Amino acid sequence: MTTLTRGAWGYAGASLDFKTGNWRSTDKPVHLHAKAPCHAACPAGEDQQAWFALLQEGRAQDAWEALVAANPLPGVTGRVCPHPCESACNRATLDGALAIHNVERWLGDEAVAKGWAYPLEAPAGDAPVVAIVGAGPGGLSAAYHCLRLGLKAEIFEAAPQPGGLLRSAIPPTRLPRAALDAELERLLALPGLTLTLRARLGRDVSLDELSSRYAAVLLAPGCQEGKEWDVAGAVPTDHREGLALLREFMDHGSFPEAQRVIVHGGGNTAMDLCRLMKRAGSEHVTLVTASGLPGPNTAPGDLINVVPRELEEALEEGVEIIDHATVGRLIMKGSKVTGVEVVSLRKLPGGDGRTHRVAFEGTERILPADMVIPCIGERVDPEGLEGLLERGYLRPADSWGSLSRPNVYAIGDASGQSGTVAAAIGDGRRAAEALALRLAGEVPVSDARPVLEAPQLNPRYYGGGARPHVPKLPAAARDFDSEIEGDIGRTAALAEAQRCLSCGNCLACDNCWTFCPDNAVIKTQELASDGSHYLFDLDYCKGCGLCAQECPTGYIQMVPEEG
Amino acid sequence: MSDPTPSGSSMPDNPRLAELRRKHGRPPQAPGAEPPQITPRDSQPRFRGLESGHRACQGCGEALAARLVMESAGPDVMVSNATGCLEVFTTTWPQSAWRVPWIHSLFENASAVASGMEAAMKAKGKNTKVLAFGGDGSTYDIGFQTLSGMLERQHNVLYVCYDNEAYMNTGVQRSSSTPHAAATTTSPAGKERMGKRHLKKDLLSIIAAHHIPYAAAASVAYPQDLQRKVRYAMGIEGPTFLVIHSPCPLGWKHDSCLTIEVARRAVECGLFPLVELERGAVTNVMPIRKPRPVRDYLELQGRFRHLFAEDPRAEEEQAHLQALADHNIATFGLTGDAEDPADTGGAALVHRGGPLASGGF
Ligand SMILES: Cc1cc2nc3c(=O)[nH]c(=O)nc-3n(C[C@H](O)[C@H](O)[C@H](O)COP(=O)(O)OP(=O)(O)OC[C@H]3O[C@@H](n4cnc5c(N)ncnc54)[C@H](O)[C@@H]3O)c2cc1C
Ligand SMILES: Cc1ncc(C[n+]2csc(CCOP(=O)(O)OP(=O)(O)O)c2C)c(N)n1
Ligand code: SF4
Ligand code: SF4
Ligand code: SF4
Ligand SMILES: [Mg+2]
Repeated sequence: MTTLTRGAWGYAGASLDFKTGNWRSTDKPVHLHAKAPCHAACPAGEDQQAWFALLQEGRAQDAWEALVAANPLPGVTGRVCPHPCESACNRATLDGALAIHNVERWLGDEAVAKGWAYPLEAPAGDAPVVAIVGAGPGGLSAAYHCLRLGLKAEIFEAAPQPGGLLRSAIPPTRLPRAALDAELERLLALPGLTLTLRARLGRDVSLDELSSRYAAVLLAPGCQEGKEWDVAGAVPTDHREGLALLREFMDHGSFPEAQRVIVHGGGNTAMDLCRLMKRAGSEHVTLVTASGLPGPNTAPGDLINVVPRELEEALEEGVEIIDHATVGRLIMKGSKVTGVEVVSLRKLPGGDGRTHRVAFEGTERILPADMVIPCIGERVDPEGLEGLLERGYLRPADSWGSLSRPNVYAIGDASGQSGTVAAAIGDGRRAAEALALRLAGEVPVSDARPVLEAPQLNPRYYGGGARPHVPKLPAAARDFDSEIEGDIGRTAALAEAQRCLSCGNCLACDNCWTFCPDNAVIKTQELASDGSHYLFDLDYCKGCGLCAQECPTGYIQMVPEEG
Repeated sequence: MSDPTPSGSSMPDNPRLAELRRKHGRPPQAPGAEPPQITPRDSQPRFRGLESGHRACQGCGEALAARLVMESAGPDVMVSNATGCLEVFTTTWPQSAWRVPWIHSLFENASAVASGMEAAMKAKGKNTKVLAFGGDGSTYDIGFQTLSGMLERQHNVLYVCYDNEAYMNTGVQRSSSTPHAAATTTSPAGKERMGKRHLKKDLLSIIAAHHIPYAAAASVAYPQDLQRKVRYAMGIEGPTFLVIHSPCPLGWKHDSCLTIEVARRAVECGLFPLVELERGAVTNVMPIRKPRPVRDYLELQGRFRHLFAEDPRAEEEQAHLQALADHNIATFGLTGDAEDPADTGGAALVHRGGPLASGGF
C-alpha cells in the first residue's frame, strides 16, 4: 500500500492499470463487414465496394482482378447489364447512384487494351474435368470458375461460335462484336479450358455419356425454343417468332418488308426487335405489352422487364409503346394480317390469391398492321434433356443449381429463373463453387451477412459529386453497327470511384481512432485480422457508441455483450 | 503495465540502472536480453499524452478534447490543471492518465500556477511549453481573474478552456457559460423560468480585449480544425487561448453516442461559432455550409427539453435562441459565399486512408 505524502506523484499513464472496460453495461463495438447493397443486388456476385476501394487508390489492375474474381466478362456486362447494383446503390439517397456499369466497362476494356492476365493458375494435370453444355455467358462463367478452383473444364457448344445470345441476339449497337470477341478470346485461351464447337447435346453427345466420363455436368443451354403463340386460336400463315427474326437479322442483315409492325409481348427481345425494325425502315413499330412503363403508379412487379436505358432509347428512336394492353383479335384478310384489335388490361389480384389479367370491355381499338410478331419468351429445347425438364425449364432445387440427377447442375436462362447475362454468370460461379466443394467432400454455404442499408451510414463525412457524363450517339446517328453508349474514359472512371461510400466496409478514415474519448481504438494495420486497420481495446472501451455513430460506412456496430 | 513504485521489490540493485530508470521511466536493456514487448498501444502513430483508464463518463467530450489537444501539443509540454472533471477523472491516486508533467492547481488559479511554471522554465533556460487547462466554471467564472492577469503579463502559455457549459464535476450547476434557457440544477426549468435566465458570456471578446496574439474557438466535432488551432498556438511565443466546445452527455442529457453530433449541430446552427482572433481582430471563421435551425441542436438534449413543451414561453425561448444564433452568423459572417473546403461541410470530409493520406473525396 502506497503511503500518501505531500509531494508524491503518480506514474505516467498508470491509469492503464484501471480497466474501464468493465463499465460497459450493455453494448460493445464490433467490426461488422456487412454486404454493400450493390454487391447484394449484383446477380453476378461482384463486390463493387471492394473493387472501387482499389480504384480509389488508383490501382486499376488490382480493381479489375477483384472484379473478375466474380465476373470474367466485365466488358460485356458493363455494356448490357440492367445494373440492379445501381438501383440498390446507397448513394442514390444522397446525390445519385454510382455509375457502376460505366466503370465496370472501362475496367473490362482497359484489361483488354493493357493485356492484363486473368489472375488464375493452370489446373494440375490430373485435376478433375467438368463437362459444360453451352458456351453462352452461363457456360463460359462456369468454365472460368472451374479453372479458378483448380478444375479443368470442357465445353460442348452446338453453334459454330461461342457466346450464346451475346452473339446471336444482342445487337452490336449495344455490344460491339470486337468487344465481345476480345473478352471471349482471352477467356477461352486460358489453360485447362477446352471448347468443342458444333457439338450438340442429344445429337452428338448424351447426358449419360457426359455423366459417366466427367466429374460433373453443368447444363447451360439457354432457352432456344419460341413458345407457342396464337390469338384466340388464330395464327397468320407467315407468322414469325421474334427471337428467330432477330437471329436471322444478325446473320443476314435484313428483315421481311413491313411498314406497320405490331410486336406483341415484352422483354429484351421485343425491345431490340422494335428498335432494329424501326431503324431498318418500318414506318410504324408498336409494342403492345401487358406490363407497365416506369412511372410513379407502376408497381415493381408490373414494370416492363427491359433494361431501362434501352426503353428510353427506343422511345427516343420513335418506337411506339402501348402498355397495359394485349392483342385481343387478329384482323385477317385470308391468311394475312391486316390489323389487330388492342384491348386494355391489368394484372389484378383474383379471389384465389394469384394475379389474373383482366381485359376491360369498351377499350378495344383497331390498329392497321401488316405484320404481327410475338415476343413472349422462349423455353429450353428438350432434345437431350429428356426427363429433366419441368414445365419447360430445368428448375434447380437450390441456389447452387443442383438438379435431381447427381452431379448435374443447371445454369442461366435454362434454369427458368434468371434471364440476364449477369444472372447466368452468377449461376455459373455458384454451380462451380458448389461442385468444387462437394468434390472435396464439403458442403457449400451461402453468405448470410446482412446488407448495409443507407440509414446506417453517416453521410456527414462524404463529399458531393455528380455522376459522370456518358457520351451517347444521338438518335438520328444510330445505325446497325456503331455503339450507342460511349466510354467514360480513365479520368471519369477514377473520379467516379471516389464517390463510392464504401458501404459496410472500413475505409481507414481514422474517424473511430480520432473520436474515441477513451483511446480504446488501436490503429494497427498489421494486427487487425478483419481487414480494417483498427482494433478495439475492450479493456478500456466504455461502450459509449461514439465510434459506431461516427463511422461513415456502418462498419462499426454496437452489439450486446455476450454472457 | 504501470511502473513499480520506487520502493517496489522490482527496483534494480545497481544504482546506475536505478538512476537511468528514474530518468527514462523504463529499465534500460541489458545487452543480449529479450527485447521488451512493444504492444500495439505503444506503437500508435500519435502522441498519447492522455492515456486510457481515466474515469470520464461514457462519451465524454472533455476527455476527447483533452486527448486531441495533447496529441498535437505534446510531448514537450507541462500542464497546470484547474479543479474540475478533467482534473478529477484523469488522476485517481495513485494513478495518472497523463504522460507529461502535470500539476493540479486549485479551482481558481490554474493560470497563476501556469505563470509560475513558465517563469521557472524560463529561469532554467528550457523551451518546454506550459499549458493551462480549466473547465468553463474555472475559466469564465472563478479563475477568470488569474487568467486575465496571465494574459496581461504576456506569459508564454497556451490556455485551453474545456467548455461543457456548466459546473459538471459538482453536479451540473450553471456557470456564466451555460447557454440561455438551458436547465441546470441551479437554473431549473419550471413555473418561474424556462432554464437559465441570463446569456452565455461572450468570453472570447473579453479575451480578445487583452490584445493577445491568438485566441480561438474549436469544437470536438471538427478534430482536424481543433488540432490545427492547437499547433498554431503552440508556434506562438506569448499568451494564446483556445475554448473548445465539449458536450457532456450527463449534464446536457444526451445519449453518449451523440457527443459529436450534438457538437456539430451547435456549430452548424451558429450558436457556437468557430472563430479565430489575432491581436483582438477576427482573422478567420469556419463558414457554415448549410445553416441548421437551432431546434435541430436543442432537440437532442434533455437540458432543453422544456423548450419543446406546449407552452408559449417555450416557443418564445426557442425563437430567442434562434435569434442569438442568427446574430452570431451575421456578426461573424458565417454564411460563406460558395462551398469552401474549410467550411462545416468541407472540414468534415474523410477519405480512404485517413487525414494523412493523399487524394480522396
Ligand atoms: C434479344 C435479346 C436481348 C437481350 N438483352 C439483354 C441485355 O441487354 N442484358 C441482359 O442482361 N440480358 C439480355 N438478354 C438475356 C441474355 O442474353 C440471356 O439471359 C443470357 O444470354 C443467358 O445466358 P445462357 O448462358 O444461360 O444462355 P445462352 O446465352 O442462350 O447460351 C446458351 C448456349 O448453349 C448452346 N446450346 C443450346 N442447346 C445446346 C445443346 N443441346 N448442346 C450444346 N449447346 C447447346 C447455345 O447454342 C448457346 O450458345 C437478352 C436476350 C435476348 C434474346
Ligand atoms: C474554490 C472552490 N470552489 C468550489 C470547488 C468545488 N468544485 C470542484 S470542481 C467544480 C466545478 C468545475 O466546473 P468547471 O470548471 O466547469 O469544470 P467541469 O467539471 O465542468 O469540467 C467545483 C465547483 C472547488 N474545488 N474549489
Ligand atoms: S456507394 Fe459504393 S459501396 Fe455503396 S452501394 Fe454504391 S457502389 Fe456500392
Ligand atoms: S468510442 Fe471508444 S469507448 Fe466509445 S464505444 Fe467506441 S471504442 Fe468504446
Ligand atoms: S470510422 Fe472509419 S476507420 Fe473507423 S471503422 Fe469506420 S470506416 Fe473504418
Ligand atoms: Mg464545466
